[in-house]
Amino acid sequence: MATLARWIDERVDLVAIRRNLFDREVPGDLTWWHTLGSATLTVFAVQIVTGVALAMYYAPSPDHAYDSIRYLERSVVSGSLVRGIHHWGASAMIILVMAHVIRVFTMGAYKYPREINWVLGVVLLAVVFGFGFTGYLLPWDQKAYWATQVGTNIAGTTPMVGGIIEKILRGGNQLGAATLARFFALHVLVLPLLLGGVVLLHLALVIRQGIAPRTDILEKEAPPRTDDPSYADYYRKRYSSSKHAGVRFWPDIVAKDLVVGAIVVCMLVVLAKVAGSGLEAPADPTDTSYTPRPEWYFLPFFQLLKVVPGSMESAVAVGVPAALFIVLLLLPFFDRRSTRALLHRPVAAFALVGILGGSGFLLGQSMREMTPNAPEVGRPLSSAERSGRALFKRQQCGSCHAVGDQKVEKKDDTPDAPDLTEVGLKHSPSWMHSFIEEPLRFHPDSKMPAFGPPTLSHQEIEELSQYLSSLRGPHGLSRQPEYRDTFPEPAKPKENP
Amino acid sequence: MRNEPEPLVEDAIAAESADPIAIGRRGFLQMSAAVAAAITAGVVGVPVVRAIASPALAKPVVDNWVKVADDIAVLDIGVPIRVDFVQTQDDAWITNRALNGVWLYTEDGEKFKAYNGHCTHLGCGYMLAKDGKSFICPCHRGQFDIKTGAVLGGPPPRPLDELETEVRDGSVFVKYQDFRLGVAERVAV
Repeated sequence: MATLARWIDERVDLVAIRRNLFDREVPGDLTWWHTLGSATLTVFAVQIVTGVALAMYYAPSPDHAYDSIRYLERSVVSGSLVRGIHHWGASAMIILVMAHVIRVFTMGAYKYPREINWVLGVVLLAVVFGFGFTGYLLPWDQKAYWATQVGTNIAGTTPMVGGIIEKILRGGNQLGAATLARFFALHVLVLPLLLGGVVLLHLALVIRQGIAPRTDILEKEAPPRTDDPSYADYYRKRYSSSKHAGVRFWPDIVAKDLVVGAIVVCMLVVLAKVAGSGLEAPADPTDTSYTPRPEWYFLPFFQLLKVVPGSMESAVAVGVPAALFIVLLLLPFFDRRSTRALLHRPVAAFALVGILGGSGFLLGQSMREMTPNAPEVGRPLSSAERSGRALFKRQQCGSCHAVGDQKVEKKDDTPDAPDLTEVGLKHSPSWMHSFIEEPLRFHPDSKMPAFGPPTLSHQEIEELSQYLSSLRGPHGLSRQPEYRDTFPEPAKPKENP
Repeated sequence: MRNEPEPLVEDAIAAESADPIAIGRRGFLQMSAAVAAAITAGVVGVPVVRAIASPALAKPVVDNWVKVADDIAVLDIGVPIRVDFVQTQDDAWITNRALNGVWLYTEDGEKFKAYNGHCTHLGCGYMLAKDGKSFICPCHRGQFDIKTGAVLGGPPPRPLDELETEVRDGSVFVKYQDFRLGVAERVAV
């Protein structure tokens, strides 16, 4: 073993790696808040691993996306658990990354010499939100479809270039197959590579610069501003003395980091087991009763759009996030005072409380106003069946036929028509197709009009039949259909005179 | 040690840069590296960017007339009705049955107004308010007048998108179109 280690060390210089990575000195008195960054990294690793598993069962096409997720949830061993971990992991990433930003902000750790690392961190924050935005379209359920509809429309309100951005995001004019493929590519290729790359830079800088020491150590007798020529010297002296009084990265810091990471990951697994990840009905572009709602971390912003007047809309929808992002990016360049503790920085404290309080308020308001969307009863309809449902409404079949709770308003001239609540148990789709096309063939005294071409095309009749076949009453899923199809004698060919 | 100049290279560079025309061996190599890198990035990057960004040039759908009501006689007067319709539509590599909807409104049973079923704010489907006098969008509480489509409240930046209608042989046809959402001007997509 020792010989092997020496053999490798001779070639790759393991000792140097150990010395620089694991044995480096870290200031003492680091709080538990200092573990937030590494906890984010742990969850990111979990997201990669679970994401790979999900990608193996996922089909990024509107035809199959929803069904592939349902298959994963129902038929794949541990499938719903893996998806649950990934789902809650996304929320955890957001919470941890925000908490990490707040920690760095309150401790003034973005100041000299860590300005660049703060900028990288802000980029990472944006990428994490990008993951959330591209991720929840993928299941192609109602929430996915509508939240993305709203999201891409917001991007479309950008002044000047909005139209182009919207089309590029969607891969065309409308949300559809191209959008899903695009978001999939962004979610599993572009963003992970981007995040991974920037994380490496972020960590390299942390290793090079070390972790910022306690705020009071860098405040005593400090020059008032960090761009003061004497500040670099002051900083170097203070920092090296605090490092020498500190601990080693391994195992002191690593142990703490990994304990927090383990707790977070265990919580994810518990949440995934207990709460699952939810899958709404398949995306239905014509469902007017559906109230779109984004993931919780976009809710404050969503709520903000409700309270601004229309004329301010595009300014707020694009302006607020863009302004926040730019202010965060530039923060270390306009805040050059050397005070670090939040209590000594009234403006920063005020801004932090304002933003957190405002977001919290909007989030709370938005959660309170939530009306749960009616859950789809029974089996979710396929796209053909949904087309059929629209045709059913469009042809006003319901003005003669009752379906479930939708009763017929009786007028004097309304013909008696069968109740269709359980028609799917009584007749096969192919029988219904023939019947709808030409009812008189079946019942010579039927009052039902013929819907065969040109009124409806055969495709439309088929969709209508598919929809009717899905009507199986309240306990339809547990009942077997017993078809009573009787076909009339085929019409005899006319004899030649 | 680190900050001491390396005399040989420095001298060579100084000698080279003394002559404004000659770029010298080092300059030539630098330029070759830059050109090689630019060619590599360009021959791959240009087609990739074009492929990714080409949907920006997507053209709006033109002349999509849809029959939304078979018989004008059965349409209620003064009450907007929502008509959903199904169309075969090309969605990238999929041929889809797309469902869309319009709201039809008539005051005299002869002239029809049709509004695109998407709220002009961010594209949610709006519905008739309980009092039947306005449309209400559930997403951000946009409110529209049923008679004109004008904004009565909430964030929508422009009135509902009115569509061209035509009555042919007692049936109502609508020229269905979608428009860019969330902006004040009406731009077809």
